[in-house]
Amino acid sequence: MKESKQHLQDLWLLGALRTRTGSRFAPGFPASVASVLSVVPVFFAALLTAATVHAATLHRGVGPEPDSLDIHTAQSLSALNVLRDLHEGLLTFDAGAELVPGVAASWSVSEDGRVWTFELHEAARWSDGRPIVAGDFVAGWRRALDPATASPTAALLDPVENAHAVRTGEAAVDTLGIDAPAPDRLEIRLERPLPWFGELLTHPVTYPWPGDSEGRYSGAFVLVEQLPGARLELKPNPHYREADTVALDGVTWHVIEQPDVELSRYRAGQLHITETIPPGRVDWLREQFGDELRIAPYLGSFFLAFNLRREPFADAPELRRALSLAIDRDILVERVLGSGEIPAWGLIPPGMPGWPEGREPPLPPGERLAEARRLYREAGYDEARPLRVELRFNTSLTHRRMAVAIAAMWKLHLGVQTGLVNEEWKVFIANRRQGRITEVFRGGWIADWRDAGNFLQLFESDGPGNYTFFDDPEFDRLMRRAARERGDERLSTLREAESLLLDEQVIVPLYYYVSRHLVDPAVRGFEDNPMDIHLSRWMALP
Amino acid sequence: MLKYSLRRLASAVPTLFLLITFAFFMIRVAPGGPFDSERALPPEIEANLAAKYHLDEPLVFQYARYLWQIVQGDLGPSFHYRDWTVNDLIIQGAPVSFALGAAALLLALLVGVVVGAWAALRQNRPTDYTVMSLAMLGISIPNFVLAPLLILVFAIVLGWVPAGGWAFSFDRMVLPVITLALPMIAYIARITRGSMIEVLHSSFIRTVRAKGMPEKEVILRHALKPALLPVISYLGPAAAAIVTGSVVVERIFTIPGIGSYFVQGALNRDYTLVMGVVILYGVLIILFNFMVDLIYAWLDPRIRYDDGETA
Repeated sequence: MKESKQHLQDLWLLGALRTRTGSRFAPGFPASVASVLSVVPVFFAALLTAATVHAATLHRGVGPEPDSLDIHTAQSLSALNVLRDLHEGLLTFDAGAELVPGVAASWSVSEDGRVWTFELHEAARWSDGRPIVAGDFVAGWRRALDPATASPTAALLDPVENAHAVRTGEAAVDTLGIDAPAPDRLEIRLERPLPWFGELLTHPVTYPWPGDSEGRYSGAFVLVEQLPGARLELKPNPHYREADTVALDGVTWHVIEQPDVELSRYRAGQLHITETIPPGRVDWLREQFGDELRIAPYLGSFFLAFNLRREPFADAPELRRALSLAIDRDILVERVLGSGEIPAWGLIPPGMPGWPEGREPPLPPGERLAEARRLYREAGYDEARPLRVELRFNTSLTHRRMAVAIAAMWKLHLGVQTGLVNEEWKVFIANRRQGRITEVFRGGWIADWRDAGNFLQLFESDGPGNYTFFDDPEFDRLMRRAARERGDERLSTLREAESLLLDEQVIVPLYYYVSRHLVDPAVRGFEDNPMDIHLSRWMALP
Repeated sequence: MLKYSLRRLASAVPTLFLLITFAFFMIRVAPGGPFDSERALPPEIEANLAAKYHLDEPLVFQYARYLWQIVQGDLGPSFHYRDWTVNDLIIQGAPVSFALGAAALLLALLVGVVVGAWAALRQNRPTDYTVMSLAMLGISIPNFVLAPLLILVFAIVLGWVPAGGWAFSFDRMVLPVITLALPMIAYIARITRGSMIEVLHSSFIRTVRAKGMPEKEVILRHALKPALLPVISYLGPAAAAIVTGSVVVERIFTIPGIGSYFVQGALNRDYTLVMGVVILYGVLIILFNFMVDLIYAWLDPRIRYDDGETA
């Protein structure tokens, strides 16, 4: 759905940009009404009844209905969260999302980093009591790569020897670099050393294959009932290798698409942990819930991306830079988003191995605007001939508010005429990918695993996700070099690649993500962590 | 009557066929596909997925394949909820939506008719004005406002019922049923009042009154039945509106009915799921209208559908 061009006059945000004081209610809300309304929640909170959820069953919001519970088919975040309760890989996460042994009790890596040998835990059992053997992994990986399975996540296994060839039908399945020399020993050969291979082994696509029989699980819980669109009920797996450490009597994941609805269910005492919180209400939530509101850094990055194949941004690094410098991230984060997001000047979020801090801003705040104006004029634009540009984003209240604010900043500081184009998700994805009509648009990435390369691969010239059409031989060369390197050497190459990307201003970094939950004070064992992964097996209720 | 029924049902077949054809090609026109997501897939994997779901075939083939499946009663696999077939999803969701819709319809009919008749008997008196103003209010409040309000008051503040979730139980159903029924109560009350007033002024009522029949008998035996005719004709579209209207209510109360699949299916480009829900709704609307016509004939002796039976 395309909207009419919006100009500065009707941008409510301008007020917020200038005054920095504002009500938490929607713009245009009369102040008197807002002040009366702001009392209402406080009044109701006083009447709020205590939570009454069943004692030792944990009720969690899962977000949208999981797309699949087949380990090779599942893709959605909600599905992965449930699968991590139902199944377990060679490695798994502790409550703080650090890697700990899973089905594998121990492992060793060869000198060249290419061969990993795992000793499976002797107590590792399927939920039917049969032992989990190395062959279950071999069978799983072969199935994942079988074109007939049509696994959308199969490419994650590409670092494994011959995986790509097997996946595309160029090599036989038995050439795949995974073998079971003994029932309790698994050997995996990689194409090249992979620093984050351990993290990959926590992804469901790498789990042991439970077979086609229904209801066989390798994780701490088993699925008892699934009502699509409503809930998934889990009970502890009695054969789980650490079954005695599982404190809960059960977990119910509730399918709730809308954050507002999830919030009401939490307030009514029907949920212990929410998947997220409604946007733009953080102040109010903090007031209401205090420590129950858990906001923590999350390995994700939000940015604007340019289409480098089309006017006006092709071959116009000065212009791209001017637009980046004209955006005040602090205002965006505090006034528009207000959920504790971290202003960003880089792609890789802080907390990533090798990235203890985010990038420093290129210039001190006082000099940015002057430099932005200079670059804007240098690129051939001025008040008489302003840049006209379309800023494209997918339908969402947050995106909309942010786009309005950015357009206002560009107008105010440079005189850019920005048209806001709001598209339904699938339309947006299709347009972004085709790149025929995009100019500057919303982009973002959330870490699949803790590795900077996972973010940077998005900009490789032949990468499937390269919607900026950035095509720089030097960048590609750095990425190829990083693939061969290890340790600090590799990190410094990746850092170089990020710098190149930022110098070229392929993207305008805006902020780093945070995870947002409401957690009932009764819940023990929920730890904020940068992967936002919270296995139910670590949690307990009094 | 039987002949008429058979004719009506036979005419439903081409209607459904047109509906299926139109919907099938319309959803394919929408940009983006079921497997597009934030993380772009490598081309070989996209090809595997396309092959698995026959999306690599020419559209006409896919259409023919789909028609053949439907004839066999198979609505195909869901493209998005990949562990389920569309049949599974509808079989699990439809009873929920139907229970909700039927309860709301029944409630609306009961309350609406009583309130409307009552207002008609007190025409232009304060009761009448109060009831009709309330009805106006009921019509004007959209359910996406009413539902959160009910949740706030009855679930969060008073804690009498859960804020959402589903079970076939009174406490889970009461708020969604009220939300769905309220605007219909208002409509039915207005319609009943209008037609009741008209009937009360007609000559046959004057006649029965003149014959000295008690007022209670006059109303219940003679006035109410003809006064209900417009209500009945409203019920067909109302029943259809309740299944489509439940989309919003189902989302707000997190009820696993088929309403939410309508929206979610379209957003996910879940072609088969959208088609399944469209077909179901098509069949329902045709059925409702047919049933309304039958009830109409039963209520009003002047209406006869078969030529042979006309008096």
